[in-house]
Amino acid sequence: MSRLELIGPQGLRNDGRRVKELRKINCKPSVLSQADGSAYIEQGNTKCLAAVYGPREARTKAQVLHNRANINVEISLAPFCMSERKKRSKSDKRILEIASAVKQTFETIIKTELFARSQIDIYLQILQFDGGTIQICINAATLALIDAGIPMVDYVCACSAGCIDNEPVLDLNYVEESHDTPELTVALLPKTGKITLLQMESRLHVDKFQSVMEMATTGCKKIYHILDEVVRENVKDLLEKKK
Amino acid sequence: MPPTLISPSENDYILRGVDANVRADGRGRLDYRQVILETGLITQASGSARCRLGEGTDVLVGVKVELGAIELDGVEEDVAEIKAKRGRVICNVECSPIASQQFAGRGADDFNNELTQMLDRVLNGPQSGLDLEKLCIIPGQQCWIVYIDAIVFDYAGNLLDTIFMTTRAALYNTKVPKTIIQDSGDGEIIFDISDDVEGWERIEGWDKVPVAITLNKIGSRHIVDATPLEELTTEAKLLVTVNKDGKVCGLQKSGSGSIDPSLLNEMVQTGRSLGQSLIKSLDEMVRREENDINLKQSRRERVEKLGFFAAT
Repeated sequence: MSRLELIGPQGLRNDGRRVKELRKINCKPSVLSQADGSAYIEQGNTKCLAAVYGPREARTKAQVLHNRANINVEISLAPFCMSERKKRSKSDKRILEIASAVKQTFETIIKTELFARSQIDIYLQILQFDGGTIQICINAATLALIDAGIPMVDYVCACSAGCIDNEPVLDLNYVEESHDTPELTVALLPKTGKITLLQMESRLHVDKFQSVMEMATTGCKKIYHILDEVVRENVKDLLEKKK
Repeated sequence: MPPTLISPSENDYILRGVDANVRADGRGRLDYRQVILETGLITQASGSARCRLGEGTDVLVGVKVELGAIELDGVEEDVAEIKAKRGRVICNVECSPIASQQFAGRGADDFNNELTQMLDRVLNGPQSGLDLEKLCIIPGQQCWIVYIDAIVFDYAGNLLDTIFMTTRAALYNTKVPKTIIQDSGDGEIIFDISDDVEGWERIEGWDKVPVAITLNKIGSRHIVDATPLEELTTEAKLLVTVNKDGKVCGLQKSGSGSIDPSLLNEMVQTGRSLGQSLIKSLDEMVRREENDINLKQSRRERVEKLGFFAAT
């Protein structure tokens, strides 16, 4: 089988982007009536819905932490989100791993010490999947947490970058992800630039690491500006409604 | 689900309101909330629709049509004969924890099962109107399997009606690729699936799929499209499934109270007429949406989908 050309001769990728281009991001906070905070986000063809409940009383005693709030993350994938229909159980290992990565990211960012003995639930639902699960989950959760008014140190923005034909590439889609491209997912705090999550599951030459890392970091900052604008716009709307 | 308890005074308030034909949100007894319907949102599915009822209940249905083998193992002979010529419909309803904390973990399993069975019973019986024989490709071997997956995002009462409405719209939106069947001569039949974008057809009989109307008996009256608080006041529920010809395709009574036979008749009649008018307005909604898209495409304009929550 011939290897699919991921970057065309004109420097365009299979979805028409250039190497340094993000997918189009569409997002909207406060979309649900029941949840304390919610957000919907679309990154290209990957679509995710997030809801935040809490801080509230912990549901089971075992989950109570006496000095801070417990964060609970649950991710579910719609059966029709991939090209082939598949129903996943809630104990799918891969999904649980992503959920725990999201949980660890937010444990340091949310001011959990303000809500001792309580629980904050973050529920994420992936509606359509086209690569970049972790990054979209983190971005959606950030928006939903802000919408819920939960005190945080900063935004958390996540973005992935990879390396195709020795060239760093931003924001991989599913086709690129599944062609053995080394993929690096980074989540950082945009104001301080501190990194809270870093994940790479395949081989990448150490000389290339720096440039791929830089690519992902600039991606995160771009995402931050998009999210920030949406949050500000939303607050402005709320203020206007109040008048 | 939001509230699970209702105070006696709230109960009384709803009861008297229903009696006076004015409900808490200003509706009459037989008024529906505003329905927002969008189709074709999930590009990876063969068909999809999302429906939002008023400011609450939100359901997304994705339909996927996949090739599958006709399974005849362990089926009695006379049943096998019918089954060999038919495609299949598989339903699945999932309440996302996003809608309510009660659905987290395994909390929604029982409820999911109940809703799934309800949808499955209506869509898999002869009353569904779907032409399953048209979904068969090679009798006894290959057929199309229609997977209907519904996800509940937000809950503000009247869930089942919304699921049925959305399913109907999603089935309208579903594109089944055309197949070309060839007899290779030596008794073996081969088939080709059209990879042309235009080479698709709708599921035959989507328009005959019934909708469900839940009637809630409160006091000596009945209401439709109940809010969660009204559902708590409800003594007995009657689910009436109706198709576009006004034929009743199923009835199910639930709830702890009982229904007087004369009231029952009245409720069924109400369900019937409401269901018919609901189908009419839903069909008009999906057709108008499609016409708009086609018109834009013919003018080579860009079609912008509202996207999930942009409409609200």
